[in-house]
Amino acid sequence: MAIAPLSSPSPDLSRELDLVAEMTADFAQSQDVEDVLHRGLERIADVLGAEAASLFVIDSGGDLVCRACCGPVDVAGLRLAPGDGIVWRTVRENAPQTVTDVRRDPDFSDRVDRETGFVTRGVLCVPMTVRGERLGAIEIFNKMGGDTFSADESRLLQTLATSAGLALINARMAQAMAEQQALRRELALAADIQRAMLPSARSESFPIHGINLPARGVSGDFYDIVPLDDGRIAFAIGDVAGKGINAALLMARTSSLFRCLARRIEGPGAVLAAIDAELEGAVTGGTFVTMLAGLFDPASGKAVLASAGHEAPLLMKKTGSVSIDLDGLPPLGIVPERFAKGCPERSIDLEGGALYLFTDGLTEARAANGAMLEATGIEALLRRLTALPAPARLEAAMAELREDSAVLGDDATLMVIEAGR
Amino acid sequence: MILDIDERDGWVVVATRGEVDLQHAPRLRKALTDSLLGGRGVIVDLSPVTFIDSSGIAALIEAYQMARTGGNAFILAAPSAPARRVLKLARLDTVFAIADSVTAATEGP
Repeated sequence: MAIAPLSSPSPDLSRELDLVAEMTADFAQSQDVEDVLHRGLERIADVLGAEAASLFVIDSGGDLVCRACCGPVDVAGLRLAPGDGIVWRTVRENAPQTVTDVRRDPDFSDRVDRETGFVTRGVLCVPMTVRGERLGAIEIFNKMGGDTFSADESRLLQTLATSAGLALINARMAQAMAEQQALRRELALAADIQRAMLPSARSESFPIHGINLPARGVSGDFYDIVPLDDGRIAFAIGDVAGKGINAALLMARTSSLFRCLARRIEGPGAVLAAIDAELEGAVTGGTFVTMLAGLFDPASGKAVLASAGHEAPLLMKKTGSVSIDLDGLPPLGIVPERFAKGCPERSIDLEGGALYLFTDGLTEARAANGAMLEATGIEALLRRLTALPAPARLEAAMAELREDSAVLGDDATLMVIEAGR
Repeated sequence: MILDIDERDGWVVVATRGEVDLQHAPRLRKALTDSLLGGRGVIVDLSPVTFIDSSGIAALIEAYQMARTGGNAFILAAPSAPARRVLKLARLDTVFAIADSVTAATEGP
């Protein structure tokens, strides 16, 4: 390191050092980055004796965009597509460009001068680079009372450009953090809404129970149980494809539609058709809802079922198990015209057995060896637990899936309908 | 999942190899929507698919809806047994246009 001579610094140098200290502090604390860049440029133009100054940032589309400027004409928002201009040359070469007479520089474009009436004579343009990342450039115009900007002025501008670049990166990081926090709050809220929408636990003697295990805090699954005044019980299980807040909100909307319509419309096929009609236009971006709705009559032990693209339920009796193939329609929200005439229903007699409904999170749960559990695996699991009362059985089945053999890649929901135990 | 994107007789043919799950579905979605934005008909060759989950199906449905809105053809070709099983399970075999082979798909309905 060179040792400075023991004389006091020249007035110019001390003024410049003050500027660097002041602006670096200002940039570092910036809350409103546009404002601080604008004020910074004004100080730069003033100290370096430039008629005008512009700060260009490379945007997400790869163009250079003027984010701040000062001087007689306002070019904020000016967009420079990748090309041969002096600013692009600065960025490409990552080196300062001092041009004394722009008319003799083949890269100079007079487009802006023609549009604004400004007359560019000479420029100094320095790259804005932080830790190897090219962020843009700062360009200053027309040295007042002189021909050209000096090498010292170029070095000073480079120092200030680095500080401005840090301010930009800080602002980007602050924004990303704020967005993440907002997302976390949204997801927590959605998880709360979901918990509130699932039916509360009922006594063991009640014929229908369900359990839901979200894979990542927020679930796209739902189930509901709605006792009707005449003693019958409406129920539904559903799975919203997609993750995060949109799936959670679509789940909340679908399950509240079911709760409302199950009491007003007779039969699960008509209920599904009505929900599909209500969801029209609300389901976009490849999202869809598979749903199985039913109506159970404890007096007769029979259930009427209707399916919109949902996994086939499993009827487990002492004598054996059978997968109930429902000749249903595609998932909700994709082809409204198919639901216009209602959704087919099938009536089945439980014959003292247990009817299990599940979402694909369960059948696709992977065993430790990587194989899918599939419906047969679920059946074996449930058969082992058959002595337990329904709520405890569902809990135990989920616990086994989670802890012992399988990794849940998706949300998982399990429901059981049974009578006469 | 490996995506092979080819052109054939004016169609974009997207072949999906391996497992189309939550991790890989966004790439499939982007390949399909980009191709449809180009204004051409798209054929998805599902014959090399070993596994597809609801996120993969969601990518196909988004492309289906986009094609329907834009008036483009969107055809699934030769779904493998695992893909066919999921399509059938969700009754989506009645929604998508499904051809026996890519060649059959290029010859149109």
